[in-house]
Amino acid sequence: MGGRQAASASPHWEELSGHDRHAACLVAARAGDREALDALVVELMPLVWHVARGQGLGRTEAEDVVQTVWLTLLRHLHTVSEPKALASWLIPTTRRAARRGNGAGADREEPLADDMVAQVPTEHALPEREALRSDRDRRLWTAFRRLPQRCQELLRLTVLAGRAEYGAVAEALRMPRGSIGPTRGRCLEMLRGLFATEGGSP
Amino acid sequence: MTPNDRPAGWDAGDDARTSLSEPGTRLLAELDDLLDQVDPVPTDLVDRVRFAVDLEHLDVEVARWERVDELAGVRGKGSPSTITFTVEDLTVMVSLTPAVRGYRFDGWLVPGGPHTIEVRVDGHGSTSTAADDGGRFALAEVPRGLTQILVHLAVPLGQLARTVATPTIVL
Repeated sequence: MGGRQAASASPHWEELSGHDRHAACLVAARAGDREALDALVVELMPLVWHVARGQGLGRTEAEDVVQTVWLTLLRHLHTVSEPKALASWLIPTTRRAARRGNGAGADREEPLADDMVAQVPTEHALPEREALRSDRDRRLWTAFRRLPQRCQELLRLTVLAGRAEYGAVAEALRMPRGSIGPTRGRCLEMLRGLFATEGGSP
Repeated sequence: MTPNDRPAGWDAGDDARTSLSEPGTRLLAELDDLLDQVDPVPTDLVDRVRFAVDLEHLDVEVARWERVDELAGVRGKGSPSTITFTVEDLTVMVSLTPAVRGYRFDGWLVPGGPHTIEVRVDGHGSTSTAADDGGRFALAEVPRGLTQILVHLAVPLGQLARTVATPTIVL
């Protein structure tokens, strides 16, 4: 609440960073600042994308879900209670939209892991090194896709944690903050195990 | 700051990786790299979303595209097809027929009513038409491109106006 009162005296959002910036953008977007809304879309898009993908949606379905989330935010611009909690609003909203998108079946096939890695453009590397690297990547991706859904989501969010708010990660997975570390550790151990099974040397 | 506030630096990027084993940290870094390569945010998604949210009225109800398979067909080659979207109490079907410059839209709202249908195409402004009492509507020519459909519902006097918006789709 205090944050909102102080908003008018706060620096312009362009001068801020991190979730202070996002909070200021949200306040500005409420007042009709389109650039502030665009900045939110640009900067929080990876978070929304990886949450949607972390729910097991294919890329095309994830695109629809991502758009749905941002359109839904329009309606809630004035009701997201705490601007600083925007990431915490985006994550569960995306998860819900993704589950609806999944429908009753929830068993839509991902594109084959190998196909996806094969689409990775090869550039700036010697052919042999690239081949080796792609093979390693393919095995790591295969191992990753065999993890339980929650592990996949948690690891996706962990690698984004440099950009996204860590507290929001905990909320997304409905765990007390303190247990994120051990759970993530177990997920990583599982990934190492699966990677080894795929013939990778961690 | 209250005692419940997270400690300073809690959400710093490095913090997310402390307390992990050395191989774990390395694998995580590799995964970070791999996700960027294998599963990047689609390059045009930010632009599509920016277009989708660039609306006069922010208080929109978000429609869902139905029948992903059909949609995939439209996305793939733009051949004549039917697309459908829904919100809680409204279903809209649109049949697309290739026209000289774009598509002819023939649509049907269920339940019917004299609602206004607006089709926005990125770079081409928007085209509107009113449905008849039975819910049928047509637009002779809608340009191809990044498209969003809005339905401005005709509501009885005294009730709040309602607008339904779809996610964008490339037609």
